Amino acid sequence: MDEYRRQAIIDEIPRLRRYARALLRDRDAADDLVQDCLERALSRIESWTTGDSPRRWLFTIMHHLFVDQLRRAKRHVQAVAMMPETIDALASPPPQTDKLASAEVLAALQQIGPERRAALVLVAVEGFSYADAANVLGIPAGTLMSRIARGREELRSILDDVSRRKMIKVVEK
Amino acid sequence: MTRRDFSINDVHLALDGELAADDRAEFERWLDAHPDMKAVSARFERDRTALAAALAPVVQEPVPTRLTHLASGKARPRRLPSLLRNVAAAVVIFVAGGVAGYFAATLGPFAGKQAADQFAEKAIDAYVVYAADPAHAVEVGASDQHYLEGWLSKRTGLKLVVPDLSAEGFELLGGRILPVGKNAAALLVYRDKAGNQLSIYMTGDGETKAKGIYEPADGGPTAIYWLDDDYGCAIVGSMPREQLREVARKAWRQMVESGVTGKGTS
Repeated sequence: MDEYRRQAIIDEIPRLRRYARALLRDRDAADDLVQDCLERALSRIESWTTGDSPRRWLFTIMHHLFVDQLRRAKRHVQAVAMMPETIDALASPPPQTDKLASAEVLAALQQIGPERRAALVLVAVEGFSYADAANVLGIPAGTLMSRIARGREELRSILDDVSRRKMIKVVEK
Repeated sequence: MTRRDFSINDVHLALDGELAADDRAEFERWLDAHPDMKAVSARFERDRTALAAALAPVVQEPVPTRLTHLASGKARPRRLPSLLRNVAAAVVIFVAGGVAGYFAATLGPFAGKQAADQFAEKAIDAYVVYAADPAHAVEVGASDQHYLEGWLSKRTGLKLVVPDLSAEGFELLGGRILPVGKNAAALLVYRDKAGNQLSIYMTGDGETKAKGIYEPADGGPTAIYWLDDDYGCAIVGSMPREQLREVARKAWRQMVESGVTGKGTS
């Protein structure tokens, strides 16, 4: 593989990590997903047909791997629950501020259904167009739009619940 | 200008930059005329900003070397087959070689010996700090061995299998990740009924080819180790040398067999 292509792939790693973190939250699990993605990409470099930028290609590969992972046995989920990072997140209540704490938003994001989460993050965070995002996820544009819309509604209502609970806590004090 | 009806769908389209350019001005007027929709739109925008801000730091983080090396081709993903050859050779040595014999026969030049000593010392340090602390020896317990293997494999870049040493009286407690330079080493911890600890320490870097037994001059735990260019493994324990050697041999053999039949060949 030529150096240009290799470098182009390396340049995408930070974004792949961000997307993976949005999908999985746990840092190690997310990096594992990126690692799987890179391994698969390098092993079938000829499937890179998206022009100069490997971005869409790489995100597509990672999405497939993510879907595979979702299908796997739930005991993986249980094991992830044992990871220190997850336990920390549960143990520490977020600080009371006007601004939405990052931890809250990320926790809320994890509660959204994985397919909606992927659609919303691809478009709203990673800046993919609807056409590209639909392509990455392998779904029609209409399905993508409904996933984004539902994902946003879901995120809003989860965050609303969080702030409601915080208000109750404050009142109880 | 053709008038069209807007809806919540257009709120999403507008947020995502997908609203047709011709419709934008009219959409804004529609939004102004519908305060409820305007509030929803503003709320979605705030959530999106918060989401982007929460995820933004990830892009600034230094990328783990296991990922950059993989992509740059500096480190091929380490597959078991290359590991197998080493392990198979080790088994032969454990079986055939007297301790003194293979110690003398296999140690390389002095520089290699130094690296091997350092490796063995690190493995012993890990044993002393973690394995010998029964309450906090592991991060991930033995209850989900499949996950444990996957996790440790991923972090070290190796294809690890967790040997079953119950026939030798050792039960797996679990494993943990340790730093070794900028990379990760895996530590498996076992314990027998008498409370003796045994650990297997593995890294994805070897630097040198060496193998042997390392016994600190001041007594204490012993390490039986094997090092290669891209692999390092040490089995550490405080039991008598012959017993440790026997357990180590069993562990090696299982690594070979498990690798051949299942995991690691993907």
